[in-house]
Amino acid sequence: MASYFSPQYLALLLPATVGLYAITPHRARRVILLLASYVFFWAVSGSLIVYLLFSTLSIHHLGLWLELTARNGKEKLALAESDQRKAIRAGIQRQQRGIILLAVVIHIGLLLTLKYSHFFLSNGNALLRFLHMPAILPVPSFLLPIGISFYTLQAVSYLIDVYRGKIPADHNLFRLALFLGFFPQMMEGPICRYEQTAQRLWEAPPMCWNNFLLGGQRILWGIIKKMVVADRLNIFILNVFSDYDQYNGSIIAVAAICYTIQLYMDFSGTIDVALGSAQLFGVALPENFQRPFFSRTISEFWQRWHITLGTWFKDYIFYPVSMSKPMKKLTSKARKRFGPRYGPILTSSVALLCVWLCNGLWHGSAWNYIFFGLYHFALIFAGNLVQPLVLTVTERLHINRNHIAYRLMQTLRTCILVCIGELFFRAEGLKNGLKMAWRMVTDWSFTPILKGNLFAYGIDGPDTVLVVLFLVLLLVVGILQERGVKLGEALVSKSWPVRIAVYYAATCFLVIFGAYGIGYIPVDPIYAGF
Amino acid sequence: MEQLLEILEEIRPDLDFVGCQDLIDGHHLNSLDIISIVAEIEDAFDVTVPTVEVIPHNFNSAQNLWAMIQRLQEEG
Repeated sequence: MASYFSPQYLALLLPATVGLYAITPHRARRVILLLASYVFFWAVSGSLIVYLLFSTLSIHHLGLWLELTARNGKEKLALAESDQRKAIRAGIQRQQRGIILLAVVIHIGLLLTLKYSHFFLSNGNALLRFLHMPAILPVPSFLLPIGISFYTLQAVSYLIDVYRGKIPADHNLFRLALFLGFFPQMMEGPICRYEQTAQRLWEAPPMCWNNFLLGGQRILWGIIKKMVVADRLNIFILNVFSDYDQYNGSIIAVAAICYTIQLYMDFSGTIDVALGSAQLFGVALPENFQRPFFSRTISEFWQRWHITLGTWFKDYIFYPVSMSKPMKKLTSKARKRFGPRYGPILTSSVALLCVWLCNGLWHGSAWNYIFFGLYHFALIFAGNLVQPLVLTVTERLHINRNHIAYRLMQTLRTCILVCIGELFFRAEGLKNGLKMAWRMVTDWSFTPILKGNLFAYGIDGPDTVLVVLFLVLLLVVGILQERGVKLGEALVSKSWPVRIAVYYAATCFLVIFGAYGIGYIPVDPIYAGF
Repeated sequence: MEQLLEILEEIRPDLDFVGCQDLIDGHHLNSLDIISIVAEIEDAFDVTVPTVEVIPHNFNSAQNLWAMIQRLQEEG
């Protein structure tokens, strides 16, 4: 079971779970979900399921420990004299911080060891060789359990939320196990918070026809995005990125655009399947995309792309760092020195840098991912710096910032910057990414595109027309969604002949225009690798 | 409330803080704006805004921000 698009998932695991869930009495439904989740994990990662079980047991125990510490502290406070209370409160906080530190060491430490030890130690050896010293560091290679980057963040967020008093510690080990291991979210997210899904999963609501239709529609839409567009572009992208020195800069630019489209179609398509699968059981997972290519700035792009990862970094890294006591003091001094606008920009850049280093590293243990993170840090930091200047200049020149032409220009600029970032993200190593970017600057000519040479590299004319038409359809869907139209609900509310006609047409479209069989190579689930 | 509106308008003069009810959900404010707002609020109203208070609901409108400030002042 390599992905959510595999026949084993779509034709076996998901229908079997739905069927069992539908015929099982209420109290046993949650057991069906948990068993299905562990069967899914086992089918993908085999015995590496021990890592998931360990994480589940660990957060259950640490959550209870946090709660016990708080309860003991409250009892002490109730008995204490008023002059002792400050010291007791500080003692409780110290103990709880110790538990959180232990949790971070265990969970992030495990992730670092399994995912990054190879990268750090092999770079350590390279540094030793550079210093003319023997490369003595042992470089281990671990098998990664599926979804470790996703469920680790869920585990850490649960514990921090318990520590902050946002949620109570969960005494029910099985509810926590289901929250952490629910199979639709396991492979590529979304990264859920405990209060968003845990209770709803545990309630295991009865199946209802409305949810079944909404979930089914969403799954079909996700499959179409992946199989019609992402898979169709794959051979062209593979050809250009693996052999970039054979291609003109303009072809590399087209490949970078195509990869950006492919990544969006693959990742958002997978998220559609994940959200649709969860909806079959009446569970609403958080949205992970909100029409990111409508963004006017890079900062806004990251509020619309991989939303659950962005909000995780914001809530657990950006705000805690930038709102810590030393940073607040620094911000206060910077505001006096550089003014109320530039002072916070300069100090929050420390937290922003932490976020983007983590974001880059989270995506993979390679230098091109770190570069990808720093690239976005630089863009957002520069955007913040020039924003007041842009406001002044546009006002002086009487430019209406809400005019459609100005907004389109901003959106186009954002899309171009995103595509450049994705070039480095996809490149086989940082060095190759830089060489590809350099080729785009030094060896640019429109001739290969105008002559139609593009069609010799793995994508032909009809393929291109189909991709463009689908993107136009996606644009129309996006505009309607931006205006608040809920297309899924609108379709479900139609009469059954209309619905059947639409489902039949969509299925035929997938069968006829899906890129599968001879001449196509389906793209591996990109985000599952992270 | 007037003092809060002055602070907000100084940070983002391009936004209508009186009418806008989706400052976060509508992607009008970014995280840097929030840091600036928190710093200004802490100075002006003598409160400490803990990280748990930085949630979309509290920052979606000037009214919600004002309610949060009053609550923090009451809690001391």
